[in-house]
Amino acid sequence: MTGRNFTRRRLGQTALAGAALLGAPLPLRDAFAQGGPANLKVGLLLPTSGLQAQIGQACKRGADVANEVFTDMKLPVKLDIVNYDTETKPDVARTQAEKAIDAGCHMLVGAFDSGQTIAIAQVCEQRGVPLVVNIAAAPQITEQGYKFVVRNFPTAPMLITGALALHKEIFKVSGKTPKTAVLMSVNDTFGTSMINGIKALFPKLDMPYELVDTISYDVAAKDLSVEVAKAKATKAELLLPVSRLNDAKLLVQEMVKQRWEPMGVLNPGAPGLYEQDFLKTMGKYGEFMISNVPWLDPKSAMTTALEKRHAAKYPNDQLDLNGGFTFEGILIAAQAWLAAKSTKPGDLMEALRKIKIDQHVMVGGPIQFDAKGQNVNIKATAVENLKRKPTVVLPLESAAAPLVFPMPPWNDKRRT
Amino acid sequence: MNLLARLTGGVPARSLWGLGLLFAFLLVAPALLGKYGLSVLILVLYFAYVGQAWNIMMGFAGQLSLGHALYAGLGGYIAAGLFFHYGIGPWAGVFVAVLAASAAGSVVGYLGFRFSLAGVYFALLTIAFSEFTRIAFDHWAWAGGSGGLFLKVDAGSDMLNLRGGPLLFYYVILALAVGAFILCRALLESRLGRYWLAIREDPEAAQAVGVPVLRCKMIAIVISAALTALAGVWNAFYYNNLFPETAFAMGRSIEFTLAPIIGGLGTLFGPIVGAVVLTGLGEIFTDLSEVFHVSGLKQIFYGLALLVIVMYRPAGVWPWIAERFGFGEKRQ
Repeated sequence: MTGRNFTRRRLGQTALAGAALLGAPLPLRDAFAQGGPANLKVGLLLPTSGLQAQIGQACKRGADVANEVFTDMKLPVKLDIVNYDTETKPDVARTQAEKAIDAGCHMLVGAFDSGQTIAIAQVCEQRGVPLVVNIAAAPQITEQGYKFVVRNFPTAPMLITGALALHKEIFKVSGKTPKTAVLMSVNDTFGTSMINGIKALFPKLDMPYELVDTISYDVAAKDLSVEVAKAKATKAELLLPVSRLNDAKLLVQEMVKQRWEPMGVLNPGAPGLYEQDFLKTMGKYGEFMISNVPWLDPKSAMTTALEKRHAAKYPNDQLDLNGGFTFEGILIAAQAWLAAKSTKPGDLMEALRKIKIDQHVMVGGPIQFDAKGQNVNIKATAVENLKRKPTVVLPLESAAAPLVFPMPPWNDKRRT
Repeated sequence: MNLLARLTGGVPARSLWGLGLLFAFLLVAPALLGKYGLSVLILVLYFAYVGQAWNIMMGFAGQLSLGHALYAGLGGYIAAGLFFHYGIGPWAGVFVAVLAASAAGSVVGYLGFRFSLAGVYFALLTIAFSEFTRIAFDHWAWAGGSGGLFLKVDAGSDMLNLRGGPLLFYYVILALAVGAFILCRALLESRLGRYWLAIREDPEAAQAVGVPVLRCKMIAIVISAALTALAGVWNAFYYNNLFPETAFAMGRSIEFTLAPIIGGLGTLFGPIVGAVVLTGLGEIFTDLSEVFHVSGLKQIFYGLALLVIVMYRPAGVWPWIAERFGFGEKRQ
């Protein structure tokens, strides 16, 4: 076809053919989606691409094995889970939520990030479709008076308060209490928000140690030698890192290099230290570091079933709190449907308000929501890296191994 | 009548008919499209509008700004903050927002243009301003700091406070897009528009023939910043939450530039066509990603599509369409 022969009519025909070709996935997709059993259809909205892709995919893996775990647990339910990618953008999250509801989803679960979750919550509120928030910590999500939103994740103040309260528990159980601590934090939005939260709550919690310094560093830092030297110079007995993954690795490498051996490294609710990549890369130097985050309850039969199914389907990926909370999001949808015996949004929402799920996977009391839609029974845990695995050591009733604190020196033979 | 004649002068009848039909379709679109279709159309209009605002800087006056998120972020934060803290509705707050964004634009512009920063150096300056504003907002308690600013969501409809469902926001962004289109047309037809084009083509030559280059560039950045701030206000009230990390993000600034670049820099229809192409392709590729269950497939397809467009239609899609179908202006 030459440019000379390319007429307006030809363009019209080509455009029509192109539109038909490109539009084909829409009915195709619906056909796939409707191919499953006629039961509860759940739209799972997660950032599986973009900046938060890694975490979004970890969340999705938890949901991917949900139906199999339900079968193992003799839960008489099979959900039709349809995945939607928010691309780590609130505007995309909003259009994807509209799309999911238009495609017939009875409930939505998502979306890891507060901005994206709020964008979805507004659509759910306007369309009257229940949203189960798997992970998002902004307190405003359950303070806005939404009628169709419930959250099964602690708010940011709950996370920090829970983490700092566990510090006291760690000192009590180990019988060793540090007198000073230094806070090291990545200077991105998350780090800044955590630092501000910790500083605001610290005086109210009557902590046994004094915060001697706060050292911030750039999220893209390639070398933390100066920052670690500065922290070491404070002679603080405890390091509280608010880190992401890569800077957590840099931080520990530099601590080993500079032979800085504080009494412990206690992460007050941030990612990094418990992540699979950190454990693999840091080897024996990643051992005995403690993260104070919500975690999977090793004493729960459902956790065992989830871990088994997850390991079978994703042998190279660690099941962490992202997968755990997303699985619970799907579990909540399933239990609401079982209780409501209906897919009508109003009935499902009514069931969600009254729900009480005793058997679940994360550490804490039964899943139930207060008048604002917040689950207040989630407990913080102390997860210690033991034998290259994040292991619950506190609270004692959920502990899978005894706490090791203070942290053994870098060359201690307990590090293997 | 004179104004209308000036605005439509030289435009072929088929273009005017096409424009009329497009406008008529946009007016009734909510009745024809589902909720999802409407949400996509809202995105198309939003990107067309901010693209039009950015086009004044780059397409008309030839000044590359990669930090336009600064003006949208400032506009959004100021209007939302006034509403959140003092109950001042956005119709009043928008004036403060526009003034603040224009002032910020003036500072960036004066520093850049007065000291002859051009091209990538000026672009770096715009990025720097956007970045340090982000850091400042991360620590500014009035604006919610890094934890974000959240507007109370109201299920009812309240035009006075711009509270309501997607339909309300659709017509607001449609009005903004139409208004920006007419304003840009009027500007292009004015003496100032001619000056801008002269500066874009050759600033030294323009200066030599007496064009007040600094003043014209300053007017361009102020108008562009003011229009972008309006988009920021709309965005803040539509999504009801603002985070410094996203409001002032470099990625957002880049998003603003894509529609005019793909559609056709310096053209009136370029940002509109670009927004339709980009958002449309984006939705199609999202569907393909979901069909094949591969996350990120959209970004790969999207990148390839942009590459093809930039390689084969470097002037943008609209100039090619206009030439092929006789939509171009007939000038004496």
